[in-house]
Amino acid sequence: MSDEELLRIEGLCTRFFTENGQVNAVENLDLTIDEGEVMGIVGESGSGKSVTALSLIDLVESPGRITDGRIWFRAPDIADELIESGADDEVTDGDFVDLRKLSEEQRRSLRGSRFSTIFQDPMSSFNPSITVGEQIAEAVEVQRRARANPRSLDAKAQRYGLGDYVLSTVLPSKKYVTGASRDRAVELLELVGIPDPVERADEYPHEYSGGMLQRAMIAQALAGEPEVLVADEPTTALDVTIQAQILDLLSKLQAETGMTILLITHNLGVIARMCDRVGVMYAGEIVERGTLEDVFDHPVHPYTRGLLGSVPDLEGAGGRLQPIPGNVPSLLDHEMPDRCYFADRCPKAMDECLEHPPAFDVEGSEYHTTKCYLATTEYTEEKALPDGYFDEAGRAADVGEEPSETETGIGTGTDSETETETEADSVQSDGGEPR
Amino acid sequence: MISDRIRRSVRSELHSSRLAQVGLALVVVIVLMATLAPFIVPHHPEAQQVGTGDTEDRTNLPPIGFSTEHIQTTPDGQTEIVREGSLEHPMGTNTRGQDVFSRFVYGARVSLLVGLLGAGIATVLGVPYGLAAGYFGGRTDDALMRGADVMLAFPSLVLAIALVGVFRDSGFHTTGLPDPFVYAARHDILGWVIPRSDHVASMPSSVTFPVTVTLVVALVNWVWFARVARGEAISIRQQEYVKAAKSIGASHLTILRQHVLPNSLTPIIVLATIQVAAIILLESALSYLGFSGTTLTWGQDIARGQSDQRSQWWIATMPGLGIVFAVIGVNLIGDWLRDALDPSIEGEGGV
Amino acid sequence: MGLGKFLVKRTLQGLFVIWGVVTVVFLLRHLTPGNPVNTLLPPEASQEQRELFAERLGLNDPVHIQYYDYLVGVAQGDFGVSMATGRPASELILIRLPATIELAVAATVVAVVIAIPLGVISARRRHEPSDYGATIFSLVGISTPNFWLGVMLIIFVAVQFGPLPTGGRGPSFVDAMIATLTQGQFRDGGIVEWGRYILLPAITLGTYFTALLTRLTRSGMVDEIGKAYVKATRAKGLPETLVLYKHVLRNTLIPIITVLGLQLGTLIGGAVITEEVFAWPGLGRFLIHSIYQRDWVLIQGTIIVIGVGFVIVNIVVDALYVYLNPKVDLE
Repeated sequence: MSDEELLRIEGLCTRFFTENGQVNAVENLDLTIDEGEVMGIVGESGSGKSVTALSLIDLVESPGRITDGRIWFRAPDIADELIESGADDEVTDGDFVDLRKLSEEQRRSLRGSRFSTIFQDPMSSFNPSITVGEQIAEAVEVQRRARANPRSLDAKAQRYGLGDYVLSTVLPSKKYVTGASRDRAVELLELVGIPDPVERADEYPHEYSGGMLQRAMIAQALAGEPEVLVADEPTTALDVTIQAQILDLLSKLQAETGMTILLITHNLGVIARMCDRVGVMYAGEIVERGTLEDVFDHPVHPYTRGLLGSVPDLEGAGGRLQPIPGNVPSLLDHEMPDRCYFADRCPKAMDECLEHPPAFDVEGSEYHTTKCYLATTEYTEEKALPDGYFDEAGRAADVGEEPSETETGIGTGTDSETETETEADSVQSDGGEPR
Repeated sequence: MISDRIRRSVRSELHSSRLAQVGLALVVVIVLMATLAPFIVPHHPEAQQVGTGDTEDRTNLPPIGFSTEHIQTTPDGQTEIVREGSLEHPMGTNTRGQDVFSRFVYGARVSLLVGLLGAGIATVLGVPYGLAAGYFGGRTDDALMRGADVMLAFPSLVLAIALVGVFRDSGFHTTGLPDPFVYAARHDILGWVIPRSDHVASMPSSVTFPVTVTLVVALVNWVWFARVARGEAISIRQQEYVKAAKSIGASHLTILRQHVLPNSLTPIIVLATIQVAAIILLESALSYLGFSGTTLTWGQDIARGQSDQRSQWWIATMPGLGIVFAVIGVNLIGDWLRDALDPSIEGEGGV
Repeated sequence: MGLGKFLVKRTLQGLFVIWGVVTVVFLLRHLTPGNPVNTLLPPEASQEQRELFAERLGLNDPVHIQYYDYLVGVAQGDFGVSMATGRPASELILIRLPATIELAVAATVVAVVIAIPLGVISARRRHEPSDYGATIFSLVGISTPNFWLGVMLIIFVAVQFGPLPTGGRGPSFVDAMIATLTQGQFRDGGIVEWGRYILLPAITLGTYFTALLTRLTRSGMVDEIGKAYVKATRAKGLPETLVLYKHVLRNTLIPIITVLGLQLGTLIGGAVITEEVFAWPGLGRFLIHSIYQRDWVLIQGTIIVIGVGFVIVNIVVDALYVYLNPKVDLE
């Protein structure tokens, strides 16, 4: 793990404009990721972690939109090219480029080659009517074409239009996917440990088991030898025993290729097992981040403490699961008060918490920051807000609003995150080592 | 049989969908037009006004707002004749001097009657057939549906043409349906309710109704009802309440009537609506081809407009617009009910 | 169950349906009121002539013998002899078949080429003006009787603009291609002349299908585009054209083909009436005129040929369905 920054996200805001109002799925998010590290993001359903991943790869779909912020990505070649073509400081910063300032076509060309993604449910993330081998070969082909044309941002040379596609149904030479890419797809299947890769490549997704298909998706993600792998809940849809195998595979591949992984999960066990650093998300913002040790052993934010408390301790048999009281917060803009978003569920809510906290550095560690006043102030009984304070305030504000049970879905605004677990269920430790 | 929930959902869909409102408005206008035809039309739809010396020639007048000019050669030389559309014949007149608007209004009667009755008969034939096939399942199902599938192998228009060809020589090809308003006006019954009773009394006393065409369109379309009813019956058969009814010894007929039929009604209603549109199209095609035995229909008027001089575009255009508006209206109501009740059904459209 | 076996099974089912069609057609003729001899012979014909004529048509045999003879004849491709002209029905029918096939194929091509991109665009730009335009077009298209559309095209297009004829058929497609390719002849007898004649009939017949296909494509794409694999495919960096047409459209085609299979009857029925409107010398026009003339041998033969065509196209559609959908259970 080198300590050089690869990604720097500043003030990212992603909003969904729904019929019920504006949903602030990602709110003013700052995050840096170093080259070669495994960065974890953990949070409940609806905390905005999947939308963060989608924002990074520019796949936020209508009615969602990235409304603000910068996503700086270190890519000296692209930066040079942009400077040559007269780009200014808004677009480049040294070796870094702001992904949001690139054209749509340029951003597409980064997908697969610089960023690739593993999605939550392998069964629904493959097209059911095309063979697995062909789908992986497509990913290979995208990169082969990009490399054949070294000026990667000049997308014209690799454009493949409707006319080409119509011709390809009669002319084999016009096919998008070439034989060489198909062979490479088989190699990739072998690399991720799929037996009989030649035969399996010609099978359809429904002929694979869930674990096998997740391996195939990893193979597909590796096709472009990406610099950053975004793994969005890579093990959530799998059986517990399979989860461990997939995580082992990811670790092994990361060690071999040295790629950077952004791992998104609600499973603290997975974080503990895989990550170098971790960010805890709540209501669209990162409330605490630091190294694994910082967050797991010296948590400051009561939400982080709550999460850790609700992990069943496998070794201490008598330990009881501590659910965090209250509901997942509404991310509807008009229901988000200007205070600490966690205050209504916080056992240590105090007067200061009625003002939105900035990020505080936590003493004792270089990376450790938290958006909680407890980092600088001691909690005392006198400052505590009275019990039921938010119930009354909330009731006053909530008149005529819909019941909160529907808000989890609205909060994420996407289909990608479909977990509907309740608080206590959503954070589990199976599949990872107990700390 | 129709629960409050369904009623609410139908109503809220109507409120939110502009298209559903348009459809309802179109259908209401056309139904009123067909029902109240004797009050609306300015002229007798069959009255010809060909110039014979005694009467003025009022053929080929253009619709209001249009004018035509053509050269007429007379013994005295050539004269240019300009015809202007007027309010007296808002849609112009045809080559026989008949008022196109009056025919347009009367044409709606046949289309709607055949559409509604045809879909009704098809429902009555198809639904019990399909319910029985789906409810009993097994061999009964196989035997009944294999037979029905043969019907599907005939394109409906081809089958309809063949059947009409068979039955058009029979005595019941068409029948006259008396018009109650005209009857009342002529016999001075309830005279005070009927406005313009002299005018109404001068209207045709009956409507020529194509009996064979109605039966034929029902015969070629009942299979769709059988298929949908069968699908519903198969899923309802497995419901707990049906098993419960069986266990307390209810007869098959009772179960079919009390449980299966009421619960399969919504998709049947949606299908019936769509079929009204399909049948209106089918009827118009048959009367275009001259098979329906009636002369006062939209389809027949289009055929005349085509064979008549083609510079009189309005003769064929107007009745076609009637068909298009009627079918759009019914289709929109079908979409509205489908969106509100949400069944997924398949079915052959129109011609 | 392999595709081959599946096709054999479907062919057997198809033969069963065709047998049903032949039977129904046979019964139809016997249900017809009136003695065919009286309809066909002039009223002044003598009693002997009548009996001789009935004998020749086999009308004196018991019904089951007539049925058996008819079935055997049809199986051998013999539909009998035209009552009006005395020529073999099969010959009269077959020479008209290519014109109908040509028209149906042209209409289908028109429909597919217009409707699929229109549906895709409409689904991608949901709730934008282009989407509303496509929706209204498809609503009007499925609600317009095609014979009226044909008449309108004749009155407002063909009569106004010289190059498009108001009816009839030019050279056959095969002849036109040969003339164009071998002699470089485009206009007279070539492909351009062929196109002039077929353009309006193909639009007339194709509009309903264009509208229907646009509708189905749009709603299918809207459902499909929200699925997780689409996002995953975009994440690979695949060009958007391939995402839409190779992945999404392909899966949308499965329900589209199911519905189109059910709608084939409409296409054939539509061809019948379109031919009548444009005096297109195909099977449909032939059928209608046979009915006008009450020539039952020709009516029966034409309906059977149409039924066979319908069954064949249905099997092709089923095979396509299996090809597109690897998960389909062939049982």
